[in-house]
Amino acid sequence: MRLTFNGSPREHDPGPDDTAADVIRTVFGATGTKVSCGAGVCGACTILVDGEPRVSCLLPAVRLDGTEVTTVEGVGGDHPVQRAFVECDALQCGFCTPGFVTEAVAFHDRWRKDREGVPSREEVADALTGHLCRCGAYENILTAVQKACAGAFDDREPVAARVEAPAKVTGAAEYTVDVTLPGMLHGAIVRSRLPHARVTVDLPEGAVRLLRGDVVRYTGQPIAAVAAETPALARELAERVAVGYEALPSVVDPEEARRDGAPVIFADAADQKNAPSSAEGAGFPGRWRGNVRSGYASAWRGRAARRRLDAAEERNAPGYFAATFTTSGQSHTALEPHASVADWRPDGLTLYVSTQALPHVKAAAAKRWNPPKVEVVAHHVGGGFGSKLGLSTDVVAAVELSRKLGRPVRVAMSRAEELTDTGYRPGTRSELRMLGTPTGGLAAISLDVSGHGGVSTGSMVATLGLLMYGFGPRHVRDRDVIGNAPPASPFRGPGGPPFAWAVEQGVDAIAHRLGADPLKLRRTWDGNRRRRALYEIAGELPLWRDRPAAPQTGRYRRGVGAAAANWIYTADLDTKVELTVRDGRIVARTATQDIGTGVRTVIRNAVREVFPDADIVVELGHSDAPHGPVAGGSRSTASVGPAARDAAGKLAARLGGKPVAEAEGVTILGERPKDRRGSAVPVSMDHLRIGRGLAGAVHVTEVEVDTLLGHTRVTRVWGGVAVGAIYNRAAARNQCEGGIVQGIGYALYEERVTDPRTGVVLSANLEDYRLPGVKDTPEMTIHFHEDGWDHVPGGGIGLGEVCTVSVAASVGNAVFNATGFRPLDLPIRPDRLLEGMPR
Amino acid sequence: MTEYLAGGTDLMERRLSGRSTGPIIDLYDRGLRSIETTGDGGFRIGAMVTVDTLATDPALTAAYPALALTAGALATPQIRRAATLGGVLLQRTRCRYYRNEHYECLKTGGEGCPARGNPGERAVVLDLGPCVAPHPSSVAMALLTYDAVAEIEDRPSKPVADLYGDGARDHLLDPSDLLTAVTLPPPAEGERAGYKRAIGRASAEWPLAEAVAHLTVRDGVVVRAGVAVGGVAAVPLRLPEVEAALTGHAPSEELFARAARLDWTPAFAETAYKIRLTETLVGDVLAQAR
Repeated sequence: MRLTFNGSPREHDPGPDDTAADVIRTVFGATGTKVSCGAGVCGACTILVDGEPRVSCLLPAVRLDGTEVTTVEGVGGDHPVQRAFVECDALQCGFCTPGFVTEAVAFHDRWRKDREGVPSREEVADALTGHLCRCGAYENILTAVQKACAGAFDDREPVAARVEAPAKVTGAAEYTVDVTLPGMLHGAIVRSRLPHARVTVDLPEGAVRLLRGDVVRYTGQPIAAVAAETPALARELAERVAVGYEALPSVVDPEEARRDGAPVIFADAADQKNAPSSAEGAGFPGRWRGNVRSGYASAWRGRAARRRLDAAEERNAPGYFAATFTTSGQSHTALEPHASVADWRPDGLTLYVSTQALPHVKAAAAKRWNPPKVEVVAHHVGGGFGSKLGLSTDVVAAVELSRKLGRPVRVAMSRAEELTDTGYRPGTRSELRMLGTPTGGLAAISLDVSGHGGVSTGSMVATLGLLMYGFGPRHVRDRDVIGNAPPASPFRGPGGPPFAWAVEQGVDAIAHRLGADPLKLRRTWDGNRRRRALYEIAGELPLWRDRPAAPQTGRYRRGVGAAAANWIYTADLDTKVELTVRDGRIVARTATQDIGTGVRTVIRNAVREVFPDADIVVELGHSDAPHGPVAGGSRSTASVGPAARDAAGKLAARLGGKPVAEAEGVTILGERPKDRRGSAVPVSMDHLRIGRGLAGAVHVTEVEVDTLLGHTRVTRVWGGVAVGAIYNRAAARNQCEGGIVQGIGYALYEERVTDPRTGVVLSANLEDYRLPGVKDTPEMTIHFHEDGWDHVPGGGIGLGEVCTVSVAASVGNAVFNATGFRPLDLPIRPDRLLEGMPR
Repeated sequence: MTEYLAGGTDLMERRLSGRSTGPIIDLYDRGLRSIETTGDGGFRIGAMVTVDTLATDPALTAAYPALALTAGALATPQIRRAATLGGVLLQRTRCRYYRNEHYECLKTGGEGCPARGNPGERAVVLDLGPCVAPHPSSVAMALLTYDAVAEIEDRPSKPVADLYGDGARDHLLDPSDLLTAVTLPPPAEGERAGYKRAIGRASAEWPLAEAVAHLTVRDGVVVRAGVAVGGVAAVPLRLPEVEAALTGHAPSEELFARAARLDWTPAFAETAYKIRLTETLVGDVLAQAR
């Protein structure tokens, strides 16, 4: 075929099954076009064919014959849409950005040709419905497209809201899936076809074994890895690997797994100890009985709590509420899949990896394989949300294959693998009992939570109940119910959203029973002064004050609900930021990675405060730099910000007022100063230090429920976030909006579905695992309460987790306010609403 | 099994997942993209005409508004620009078991239906057996209300309704049969239409249930009604009893509510909610079509 590709003639003879995306990425080498879902759902692979946006992952390559193809690279870099994306911060991780940009370019160009004025939000959203952004940057995307159409960027350069935005809107930003090394092979994973079995594997030459021992405990569990010249050949090779199965009795469903007589999945102490964990860091200690691993009850006057609750139940006290809440598993669904390219050479290992834990991966790889040296590279990371924290299957397979075969190997997960076996937020079942009083606070609470994380332990939900709503008597206990399903992993605020789903609805229910204002009641109960400030502001919002007084009648019902979030403050006190003056510019380096949070810009801004006129370059994503933080536990900002400021201060002292260029060649190392009055825990665990003080957030959410179709639409959300000083206002607001969008997904759409018999994950594509889209995005207002963190250098901490924890609960409370129906099960599906709502 | 490649929105996904492995015959150069008027004032639409064209072509939207509204509401703009009329009529089921490489079922050449033991809230209400997944074609549903006829190469034409009817197959054509065009009878002057789908999100989702209706009213009385629903059975479902209850009466909310009542028995507890859902949708689309 012959075509015009980004303005130049090209020839290529594709096979009948080659997609346009394959040819563009691998033959033409234009990796700006991303492939994410591979099924035409997410739009990341959008290209323009004769000016029309098309999903290239479903477009047969032969159809490009005779056409003019434009990819994001061909758009150039100065298109008004690209400029608008750069200035309006219309991206986070950037993996979906090339698709959005190409689609928006077509929309913009058509609009400017045929129409005048500014397109409405709805018109833009309609044009972009074929695109998904997992970070949830939709609000800024809509604004950017509107501004571009209005001509705001016709004749001026944008002011970049984040450092790497220009690279992300042009397709120049290189992600791990874009890395191709000379002589590189492609790996594929051989996975278990059964939920529980003893296996024998006849490994072909060049294959590596991934399974430790000979028992597989879930369908999809990695057994071995193979490599070949192309991904398709590798998959074929993997299919042909002979695996012998001796089936063992299995149990997938947690309700069956907890029963006496259910097949026991981890039979002895050694297996139990080796079970994977979904906890960040060390999980809680526990006792095993069958498939149930029980934590020790954490109690503060636990007997008093039980006595009060029993008495309140008996006399039907108005402040008493008890219910069983459930949540379904939530898949991270980063749009860049887990991917690694390993290059094992006699002098050391180079590892490109899509990770949020670059320093940790380096240390773990060094420990596990002990190569002469390890270099880890992650220039751009297409989202993580907690799923990319360790030596995942892709890393292990790529390294072992490369070591064995002596060639670089890339291993990238398919979307089905990603949605099956790269972790998820565990499902939960929470038994909640609460007793509150209008003025005296939370009188007692009991919370028993079972986590459903397949073969993994470490669900920690109830334990968070020790950290909120004063010091009234309480009894909390976490359990894991093990089943033959893939293991869970940490997910943005582990335990937080299911905790809020139960407890924040409990507070709301008690307020309702007592006839109290739910925000005022929280202010009475909650000792956290930062959150108390938020309750006051939220309570004065017209959105809150004009909420319906009682459930309405009629088909469409509006409701407003509030919920609060609590989160610990962590930082990596070992963080170093290095500044070097090179060619008159200040180059900042640290061994961390940007998963879409804008950490480069946090560093740039901290240095710029000291050197407002200097040319500042931030180089991240390489393990050769001084130690930097893992992007987990919301720790990055409070780690790199103060370290960068320290470095800048030292450089300024060294210069003594002279221009930056005077220090050409000088290197300064900035450290993360300690907090005033120390930390909550005086030692760091794997570089993670738990600091003093708890972060807070409050969400006030408005919904409209169509009570006949069971459809819930979130129309407005106010998010108040109390994390102190904000380092980068645009990116912080963007991340808080994304936290709301993800929370809406958790509340209404996202549901991990596992077949109860075979343990096969059925929600294994983006059609059946439903992410929130651009048209599901409400009007959002973000308020930052910036006081209260003076003991932290820089005066502010991270917000990535706290900004999403309470969203789903606020949706639940809004649905109750609208309909009088208290949703107990997540997600709030139409069928559940229709069956649960009073007629 | 040889398969025809039209827009590729279904087939390419099945190629990638390994669900389709036989040879492909690409229809790209076969033409089949024309829209012509027929001798009696109807339209003949080529099988390679895109869904986007069904939704936006001025002549078609004026003549068959129920078809246009349906076409404009499915999937995403990009999929609508790629997907073709023939392709959406003959697409394969979206059943999450069928689409999952771990399973074989009667539609993959195996036996039985693995979804039957775990139908979930998206399954059918009316069980034609053995498959429990609803038919995916919204466009087929709309075409039923117009008594559209499918032209098949080297075979007699047959009503679009007769492309379906069997719970075991997504359509009744032989693999080698080539659907070349769909003809529609002459449009009715003054016809009004409505379309709606029930979904979780705001857009871009396969419906839990959907409904389409068109009404032609003369002298205050419904003289012609077309009503069909989707998402409820293994075939797109026309509702002749609803149409009959409307015809000859003056349109009113009460009439619509009465006509939209469905005397169905749910096959699965998980999908019982779809009966009321479908009744609501039918009422809504009739109100739109008034």
